[in-house]
Amino acid sequence: MKKKNSVFLIITIPAFLLFFIFHSFPALQGIFYSFTDWKGYGDWNFVGLKNYLNVFKDERAGDAYLFTFKFAIVATILVNIISLLVAIGLNSKIKFHKTLRAIYFLPYILSILIVGFIFNFIFAHFLPQIGDAFGWEFLTRNILGNPDLAWIGIVIVAVWQAVSFNTILYLAGLVTISEDLYEAASIDGAGVWTKFWKITFPLIAPFFTINMVLSLKNFLMVFDQIVALTGGGPGKSTESISLLIYRGGFEGGEFAYQSANAVIYFIVIIVFSVIQLKFLNKREVEN
Amino acid sequence: MFKKMTAGVMALTLGASLLAGCSSDGAEDGKVTLELFSNKSESIETYKGLIKEFEAKNPDIKIKLDAPPEAETVLKTRLTKNDLPDIMSIAGNATYGELGRAGVLEDFSGTDLAKTVQPSYIDMINRLVGPEEEGTFGLPYATNANAVIYNKAKFEEHGLEVPTTWDEFIASLEKVKAAGDTPIYFTLKDAWTGMIAWNSLGANVAGEDFAEKKNAGETSFTEKYDEVADKMAALVEYGHKDNMGVAYGDGNNAFASGKSVFYLQGNWAIPEILKANPEMELGVFPMPVTNDPAQNKLVSGVDVLLAVSKDTEHKEEAMKFAEFMMNKDTAQKYIDEQKAFSAIEGVYQENPVFEGIKANFENGTITSFPDHYYPAGMGAENLVQEFLIKKDKEKFLKKMDSEWEKVQNR
Repeated sequence: MKKKNSVFLIITIPAFLLFFIFHSFPALQGIFYSFTDWKGYGDWNFVGLKNYLNVFKDERAGDAYLFTFKFAIVATILVNIISLLVAIGLNSKIKFHKTLRAIYFLPYILSILIVGFIFNFIFAHFLPQIGDAFGWEFLTRNILGNPDLAWIGIVIVAVWQAVSFNTILYLAGLVTISEDLYEAASIDGAGVWTKFWKITFPLIAPFFTINMVLSLKNFLMVFDQIVALTGGGPGKSTESISLLIYRGGFEGGEFAYQSANAVIYFIVIIVFSVIQLKFLNKREVEN
Repeated sequence: MFKKMTAGVMALTLGASLLAGCSSDGAEDGKVTLELFSNKSESIETYKGLIKEFEAKNPDIKIKLDAPPEAETVLKTRLTKNDLPDIMSIAGNATYGELGRAGVLEDFSGTDLAKTVQPSYIDMINRLVGPEEEGTFGLPYATNANAVIYNKAKFEEHGLEVPTTWDEFIASLEKVKAAGDTPIYFTLKDAWTGMIAWNSLGANVAGEDFAEKKNAGETSFTEKYDEVADKMAALVEYGHKDNMGVAYGDGNNAFASGKSVFYLQGNWAIPEILKANPEMELGVFPMPVTNDPAQNKLVSGVDVLLAVSKDTEHKEEAMKFAEFMMNKDTAQKYIDEQKAFSAIEGVYQENPVFEGIKANFENGTITSFPDHYYPAGMGAENLVQEFLIKKDKEKFLKKMDSEWEKVQNR
């Protein structure tokens, strides 16, 4: 037992130290600076809650919150529907299902920058050419240049990339369901639809919960897709909160102010995740 | 087992040779090593050539060029660590202003070197530092120009002449449009490209001291930028059908393949356009902003300035390098290779492409980029981009004012 304990410590302490140095300590520093007027260099003074009050008055931050939530909710729903469908498809007895799994996972491996380049080309050249050829007026312009549609372009790219990871999680869930249940259901005369609602969905409920929470959290922190596709534009129509914090904090010399924004955002994400977990866990238990 | 041993030996030798490499670097029999920091990846090759020349003339000085990506962030981080490079070759923008105010750069005011620079550029960088700290903390070296680039072949085809007033400019745009061609190729998917026209208009209409007055609360966008906003909105009418959907890189290629007559860009776009179409004949002229040709100045900024760290141990050697760079021959070589302009008096860009703006440099009818003086956190280019889509002038100007004040109050 004693030996086990020391092994445990040898493994844990370096991990804990690394985590603290590179994660917790900078986070605490950020919280500290959010009460100052530090620009990222030079002198600073304590300003109390001024930064926090300014964030609440900041219309730009408000717009960024609205955009981010709209984006995150739509993307989360789409990702979960699509990846569940793909996972069920890949779990059935089809030919080449291993090859197909590999192909479906490919988008997750590609770097966001490459994905950004590919989709920028599709939106700027490929789709408008199709639009021209078939005379579909709405497609003849780059949708990333339209403030009302640009967010859809980002949703498409983000969902396209995220589906693969969630599919893997759903697949892991589907493997846990025993074939016998389906056989018994078939004997009782259950159709495909009934089987899904009465067997598959309840039994992968824990996976559904974790997928919903993880994808909402990831999409709330959306950053690289936006940098690669629109840079927050046109106008400020696709400026997410992470992008606003990064831009204002590092390029704009508002380190302290954006730290306050980040702290607020951190709390919002935690609150959302906890509510979601509570709600979805309850649903699991009821089943 | 044998394999493992070989690997071990290999690793040891590699480590040893790395260590040896390190130790030989620092102490080189009495030679002084200077660090030259540059923020431009484009000029690395040019600098390498110049450094070779300098080292041949000064055998006891060695120069190490350091041009990292994200250079301004790197420089700001090194500032917090009190570890500035000996010589810095950076742009005359907000970062220079911050370094100047931080009091870490050598003051060149009144020196012989500073006297060789065109006074308007000295003035320009002094205003970046602001009134808090008196002094000239850098030597303006290479400059850029914000202009209208045009396709000479198309120009003749439409029978146009270089416009010198706003009305003439609009008339020629109108003529091209009536002939069924695209007058201007906009690339507004990249928000910053909208600032080319904005800066030309703003500098000439709202005046050069706008930012100072705005900071003092004496003026506002609503008051001074009304005409600028109107003219911006007017220009966008002469674009192509997807102004907001095309990015800068695609725009260079489109203009190079003759998709439009005019292109609103700076001198930095010219090598890119010629790369896409080496045969193309290009011309440039300053955007005529008002109807009084005498009032239309060319917007030009300091692209590269040389600064020396105040606390460097090798000030004498650093100054020697600065002198070498400021030499007319060196300066000429730099701008020839970089297709830029020189801030040094009497050194001119002779490339025929720049014929149309040469006079501005010779007689000093130049003015600075207004947006270099805006608070960096306000994100002006995205606001301008939004205006060009929604065209709601009053709301836009009010927003420019409120964003400026918001950043000031933080």
